[in-house]
Amino acid sequence: MVVVLFGVSLFVFAIMMIIPPGRRAAIYVTQEKITPDQMNAMIKKYGLDDPAPVQYVRWLKQILSGNFGYSVTASAPVIEGFKTYFPITLELVLYATPLIILVGIWLGTIGAVHKDKPLDHATRVFAIIGYSLPTFWLGLILLMIFYGYLGIFPPGYLSNKGKDILFSPAFKRYTYILTVDAVLNWRWNIFWDALYHLALPTINLILLNSALILRLMRSSMLEALGQDYIRTALAKGADKRTIYNIHARRNAMIPVITISGILFAGLLGGMVITETIFARDGIGLWMARAALQMDVPAIMFNVLFLGTVFVVFNLIVDVVYAYIDPRIRLA
Amino acid sequence: MQKLIETRDIYTDFFTFEGVVKALNGVSIIVNQGETYGLVGESGCGKSVTVRSIMRIVQSPGRIVDGKILLFLSLEDKEQGIDILKRSEAYMESIRGNDISMIFQEASTSLNPVLSIGYQVAESFLLHRLDEMLKETIDTLKGEIESGKFFIAGWWKKFQEFLFKAELDGLEKYTEMVAGIDKRLYELEDAADKASIDERNHLNRKRDRLRKTVPVVQFVRHLPFIKHYGKKLHKTIRIHVVDLLKELGVANPHNVVDMYPHELSGGMQQRIVIAIALACHPKLLIADEPTSNLDVTIQAQIIDLIKILKNTSIASVLFITHDLGLVAEMCDRVTVMYAGDACETAAVKDLFKEPLHPYTKGLLRSVPKLKAQKELESIPGTVPNLIHPPSGCRFHPRCPHAKDICSGDKPPLIEYSEGHFIACYLYI
Ligand SMILES: Nc1ncnc2c1ncn2[C@@H]1O[C@H](COP(=O)(O)OP(=O)(O)OP(=O)(O)O)[C@@H](O)[C@H]1O
Ligand code: SF4
Ligand SMILES: [Mg+2]
Repeated sequence: MVVVLFGVSLFVFAIMMIIPPGRRAAIYVTQEKITPDQMNAMIKKYGLDDPAPVQYVRWLKQILSGNFGYSVTASAPVIEGFKTYFPITLELVLYATPLIILVGIWLGTIGAVHKDKPLDHATRVFAIIGYSLPTFWLGLILLMIFYGYLGIFPPGYLSNKGKDILFSPAFKRYTYILTVDAVLNWRWNIFWDALYHLALPTINLILLNSALILRLMRSSMLEALGQDYIRTALAKGADKRTIYNIHARRNAMIPVITISGILFAGLLGGMVITETIFARDGIGLWMARAALQMDVPAIMFNVLFLGTVFVVFNLIVDVVYAYIDPRIRLA
Repeated sequence: MQKLIETRDIYTDFFTFEGVVKALNGVSIIVNQGETYGLVGESGCGKSVTVRSIMRIVQSPGRIVDGKILLFLSLEDKEQGIDILKRSEAYMESIRGNDISMIFQEASTSLNPVLSIGYQVAESFLLHRLDEMLKETIDTLKGEIESGKFFIAGWWKKFQEFLFKAELDGLEKYTEMVAGIDKRLYELEDAADKASIDERNHLNRKRDRLRKTVPVVQFVRHLPFIKHYGKKLHKTIRIHVVDLLKELGVANPHNVVDMYPHELSGGMQQRIVIAIALACHPKLLIADEPTSNLDVTIQAQIIDLIKILKNTSIASVLFITHDLGLVAEMCDRVTVMYAGDACETAAVKDLFKEPLHPYTKGLLRSVPKLKAQKELESIPGTVPNLIHPPSGCRFHPRCPHAKDICSGDKPPLIEYSEGHFIACYLYI
């Protein structure tokens, strides 16, 4: 794991080195115009054309001591920016991912159990819609229907009234995850307010992402149902429910878990379009701005963060595997 | 002799993309109570499909399209038998693993890799012996409550007892209702008028809908902490599982119940599969090539085990193999199959002494004998494709005695001498 993280850091550093020293020097520039001499002085001062290994070690030292630099787009140190934006993304991901997985597994099972029957076709239509619709289109349609016509589920992450309370000193931020903090502060109005704003993006994410899990679950469930041990269970006199729920599903879950881990980690990296459309100030939106404005420290930090997240999730997936599949438990 | 199961002209087809595979072409066999019945034939001749049809577990895209499968289980149906093709799925579930059990070709893939051995065997008890297990658990609990010194634990035990009793009550009601439905269905068995058929369908659907479980118990089962009361039942069953495994010669049964299939050797796996099948003392054990992937010594052990079990705990065995030696060793009567046809049925002695069907003769000549000097013969040609099977006698393209009539209609099964049945135009 440490090796993988080391690789990630090297990769991130390599990306950074592609940018010529002059451009990187621009990060430290505060005034509008600067002469080439000043530029060279800057490069020298920060050692931007030192040999790569020297720069790498220097960079790594800074990272390890927790200094990730200053983010222009967040107008704050990168860490501070991360603290403001990340919880908003995390909250959406925490609500959406379990639902995506549940919906996917549920519909996938239905599809497999009723193979080639109308219910199966219905899940297929659902999957095709999820696969083929562009995120922005579906998001806009949802906003149009719910917010535009019905006047419910507004964009943003909290109403203005809610924000007043949120930023008042009486409201303590324990976790920075809104709904959790609301409960901890015993402010149920904030809690419902936050959920109300979470609804649409969550539905959007479910529609878009559960298709993948659904199709995977369907095919792996079908595969499990064709195995010899299902025949043994049948010969034992087991009823359909037992066969689906106990004998087939556990085996069918194994590939689904891998994808679920990747999905969770991927969503944590930010959902640029979803967050833009629903005006949620998360990592995705921040990254989009950072990319447009060459906010290198912010981008670096997030790439590094995402790499770490993926590594950690691989580990978690392995642990869950071992829980489900005894053959791995021993090895 | 009393019949146990009879199939009359079953046709089973597989509806594949390439076409309809006519896997069984009117197979008729009769297994009597107490006998070991052999089913032999080349690979792909439909032995497995025959026994799966008997259990009604033909996997999709297969379907039994015609015929009758009669069961003669309890006293009242000794006469006419129950046609299981007319019964509900729930009825079949109550028969499978209880009255008819099956063990399979590949033990390693027949066990579920993610469930413990203990659970997989226990499931047989849970499915068919739940009432006895519940009664036993209630008895143990009663004993514990009476001798109980712990105040709170006592209340917890009383609560457990209450839940188990509720479950037992529900189960008894279920059994009673099901028995009523089955009795009525038996009366309606051969009825052909519309009203009776409607009633029969209605009753079958009703039986499928009935649930063994009591809603309250089901609800409690999902509550956190309280749901652990069920462990008591599993403890009771575990004792039975360990006993059963011990009986079947599994070393260290106490440890084995907590293991998973991949931790066991092939021979042990097959013993577990046998344990699952024998848990409820079936009247018929179907063994579908139970030793084909084991090495020779283990093979001998498993065969010996089946022989011993045959004498002690199972009434009849339907034994599938392509090993004629095993047939001679194990079976009383045997049916030779070829490409979905049951060609010849006879007592084992008669078949080896006086084979009638040209295919049987060929099969016997292709078996190595110790004394024989001659080269082994093989039957020319290959097993036909069953999507477009040969007309008439399916063996006619390979048969040295084929006549014109052979490619016309299917030869009828006739009794040539007592107990010796044959389907071949040479003997008509
Ligand atoms: N799932 C299936 N789909 C299509 N055809 C099938 C299927 N299962 C069996 N069959 C057909 O049924 C025929 C009989 O198969 P079966 O498995 O009963 O043979 P068998 O006698 O048991 O052979 P073996 O000794 O190899 O086990 C085969 O020719 C095969 O083509
Ligand atoms: S019926 Fe005809 S083809 Fe078939 S085995 Fe007898 S002689 Fe041969
Ligand atoms: Mg077979």
